[in-house]
Amino acid sequence: MTTMFSSLRLDTDRLSPSGAAVWGVIALLLLLSFAVQPGLFVDQFIGGLVYGVSLILIALGLSIILGLLGIVNFAHGALFMLGAYFTYQLMSVWGVSFWVALVVAPTLVGLFGVLIERLVLQWLYDETPITGLLATFGVAMMIQEATRATWGGTPLSVQTPTVLTMGADLVVTTVARIRLFSVAVAVVAILGVYLLIERTDFGLSVRAGVLDREMAGFLGIDMPKRFVAMFFLGSFIAGLGGVLRGTAVGMDPMMGQQFIIITFVVVVVGGIGSLFGSVVSGILIGEAVYLTPLILTSLAKVSGVEALAIPGIGGLVPYLVMIVVLMVRPRGLFGQEGFLE
Amino acid sequence: MSRADAADDGGLAARLRDADLGALTVPLGIVAIAVLLRPVVSHPLLLGYAQIANSMLIWMLVVASFNILLGYTGLLSFGHAMFLGIGTYSVAIGVAKLDVAFLLAAPLGILLATAIAYLVARMIVQKGEIYFAMLTMAFAKSVHFIANYDPGGLTGGTTGIAGGALPGWIETVRGFKYVVVAGWQLDWYYAIAIVFTVAMLLMWQLVRSPFGRTLVAIRENQKLARAMGIDVRRYKVWAFTFSAAFAALAGVLLEVNDQGATLSALSIPTSGDVILMSVLGGANYFFGPLAGAFVWLFAEDYLTEFHTLALPLSEYPLVTFEVSGLLTYWQFLLGLLFVIAVLVSPREGIWGLLRNGLGSLYGRLRGDAE
Repeated sequence: MTTMFSSLRLDTDRLSPSGAAVWGVIALLLLLSFAVQPGLFVDQFIGGLVYGVSLILIALGLSIILGLLGIVNFAHGALFMLGAYFTYQLMSVWGVSFWVALVVAPTLVGLFGVLIERLVLQWLYDETPITGLLATFGVAMMIQEATRATWGGTPLSVQTPTVLTMGADLVVTTVARIRLFSVAVAVVAILGVYLLIERTDFGLSVRAGVLDREMAGFLGIDMPKRFVAMFFLGSFIAGLGGVLRGTAVGMDPMMGQQFIIITFVVVVVGGIGSLFGSVVSGILIGEAVYLTPLILTSLAKVSGVEALAIPGIGGLVPYLVMIVVLMVRPRGLFGQEGFLE
Repeated sequence: MSRADAADDGGLAARLRDADLGALTVPLGIVAIAVLLRPVVSHPLLLGYAQIANSMLIWMLVVASFNILLGYTGLLSFGHAMFLGIGTYSVAIGVAKLDVAFLLAAPLGILLATAIAYLVARMIVQKGEIYFAMLTMAFAKSVHFIANYDPGGLTGGTTGIAGGALPGWIETVRGFKYVVVAGWQLDWYYAIAIVFTVAMLLMWQLVRSPFGRTLVAIRENQKLARAMGIDVRRYKVWAFTFSAAFAALAGVLLEVNDQGATLSALSIPTSGDVILMSVLGGANYFFGPLAGAFVWLFAEDYLTEFHTLALPLSEYPLVTFEVSGLLTYWQFLLGLLFVIAVLVSPREGIWGLLRNGLGSLYGRLRGDAE
């Protein structure tokens, strides 16, 4: 039960009657909204998926660093944002192709993350979580202001390569290929992290560090080196998420702050310390954000009660999900006992 | 030097210093801040701008109320702005939309914030610290959503409430507000100062009462506190509730000061600013948050007004730098200062450094004299 990915069994066979009722209602509502607006449903479903995987890309790094070092890295959203802005710098200012930026920008972000680790976080390993949270909060603020100073406060965007701007036909609707491409890249990245953590000796030593950093050190594992490597990896993935998001949607200096807060929600809902939990809850929250408004508008259409279609409810949904999940399962969906408590 | 030793010395001065002045330092300090803040900041060598003293006192109150949680109980809340906002919105809605008297709307607003705080605290106060922080953020976000959603046209959505939100007894003359009641006229700054003084004195009494000492015990070692028979959950709930009540009181002042309610008063970044001010100033000390709020607002105003840096003095410039472009990004400098403060010592802050610095200086001077 102690590995990061495989403590993943929800007790589905012992589902309580009330739990079953809740899932039943949700399934019914989804079916209903699909029947009412099939094109929009698929559209929103893919939107939720794209949003969900970018949340996962940030959450993975956050979760690894939290598990390994016990530091709540508030600056992680700023790294995500830097991924997007580096893409802008590479593509729009220096005229590099998207495919090069897709590799170079995350690498730069990874190096930047290592810089932060060396300059700030390495001094905080034995402090309380609050201290780490506060210090990285300051770092995030600095990066945000530096970004504003360098690239300006107005939203920017880059020219997506033509291969990815075309639509892909999905019977009931067409979606831009860049969105499907984002999902594909993210899935590859998530699988890569999974294989690295679960199937390699390096991953084994990292998992040992998560369980007991001190003991792993005694056994001859060079933990500081692992920290730097994992920090590079976490920042790289966040940067990758930034590249994809920046290409598909664009970038602004507030995106880091907005995403880090939702990502915290994802990590907490998934259960702190569980990478699998982050993946599940990322998809869950991404879909909830996009499908809840759709369900409500469908309900409003069917029942004729206009008041049901609350505008902007999508922004609130992650928090409601979190409140409910934490009330029912205090450690999140896949959280382990005694982790950071 | 303990009190008994001082009494043995027999000197009247020593006895006075150790017995009475010790207990009076903080109340005198509070009064001194309330009286001196405006003359000091409006001096031309500093900001030269009197209005900012109003905001400073109000924000000091907000951050001090927050520090009951962070500094004294060790609870990190990301939703403190929620209570500030409930205070501002209650008064604004009461005065501008429902035509309720200010003197009714304000206590109701504070009561509402207190009740919400109590209920929220009962639900979440026993969660681990990260869970607690996230849940406070979630509740704050929900309140923000409601205000933004504009139910029944009450909260005004993204624009907030601006028109007609001033109570009738406030008169504005050339940008300065006055409280006018039955022919009496009081500068609005002094009205704030009175509320500030009373509220700060109450908070001081709160933190040095057995209740406050118990909070410190919980902060220092929660398990030990529980083992000693302290009902940790109950104390945390009441700490959260009191803290919210004072924040809502500050919100009431903010509403009159800003002539309305804005959505930003409720937002998560505002909660973040409150945390930053508190830690920057020094969460360990009663006056730390005040120092933090002062430095924050001072820096914001001073640095953004600044266009050229002239050394050594602007009257006799030898070297001048064009810095207006850079100082627009004053939050970068503040972030740097903040990171350094947390790395050096997370609970000391500016006030702690100042205090220790002055303490050692005083000790050295006295050592030289003897």
